[in-house]
Amino acid sequence: MKITLVKKIKLDGSLCRKCEDVQQKMEAADQMSLIDEVLLADERDASSPGMVLARRYNVDQAPFFVVEREGLQPEIYTVYFKFVKEVLNQKTREEDELKEILNDNPDLDFL
Amino acid sequence: MTANLLNTLDLDRELSDQSPQEIIAYALEQFDNIAISFSGAEDVVLIDMAHRINPEKVQVFSLDTGRLHAETYRFIEKVREHYGIQIDVVFPDAYAVNNMVREKGLFSFYRDGHKECCSIRKIGPLRRKLLTVDAWITGQRRDQSPGTRTAIPVIQDDKAFARPDDTLTKFNPLANWSSNQVWEYIRSNNVPYNELHDRGYISIGCEPCTRATGPGQHEREGRWWWEEATMKECGLHSVNTQK
Repeated sequence: MKITLVKKIKLDGSLCRKCEDVQQKMEAADQMSLIDEVLLADERDASSPGMVLARRYNVDQAPFFVVEREGLQPEIYTVYFKFVKEVLNQKTREEDELKEILNDNPDLDFL
Repeated sequence: MTANLLNTLDLDRELSDQSPQEIIAYALEQFDNIAISFSGAEDVVLIDMAHRINPEKVQVFSLDTGRLHAETYRFIEKVREHYGIQIDVVFPDAYAVNNMVREKGLFSFYRDGHKECCSIRKIGPLRRKLLTVDAWITGQRRDQSPGTRTAIPVIQDDKAFARPDDTLTKFNPLANWSSNQVWEYIRSNNVPYNELHDRGYISIGCEPCTRATGPGQHEREGRWWWEEATMKECGLHSVNTQK
């Protein structure tokens, strides 16, 4: 299995807030060692490796994870806690998962 | 999953020029296990359209947060009777609500923002419901959200709510329609509607978080008006992700 983490660099050159937040969580939980490759989606450069992956997999949120398993199609995770639960098989709190989903999809509260 | 994503992208280009009825017809034809999300507001047009297309396949659910207006409960019941359909009313996890209310009271959203309450009362039950279907249909429209939310596709691969190792398809047939078009449809087809609309409510959600709006106000101003509009930061800029 190969896991790629894609982080976003904003137009002003800084890392996006959620990317920073996720990275801190992953470092605190010692999960970065489970990531095989980290790529940057630089909004100033459409040809940056992360932007290329985002186009390939039709991803419009960052950060995101690409999980490649031999013989299977790559799986894309845009929700960090879902990735932690389903790929890393680690426990998560439901309230954290739900908050992340709503933060990433602000129109859902309109339902 | 890759093939599915590419299909969804291609389909969005193909379907985006089509009418909401054509998009709903396509969705109902493609998926057997598909449900309409009904909020008790003007998204009733989805039920009306689906019922005209294929009444046998209309599966509807509503999120009952426990804080809706009495008028909305009456309207959901009216819709159930009018179309002769079942509406699966889904509820939040009682334990989670109980914990939040015990710790923070019944109106914590005025102080802490609405997201914690919405995540427990809406997103939790929504996720549980969506784990049981292959596709869902919403009444989301581009004109509902000011600022950056102007690119809601008519069909998308819903990565947030998909079952593990599976896909979930989300249809937004009204994405390209305006509020005026929705109301023109409601009036010309005698579709029942929530009586709150006659009292100045445009967008209808939970009772403590919804208010009537005045002339010229955007419908979003009728929801969570005590909070400042925030920009979604972590979206990948669409200009740069398109070829």
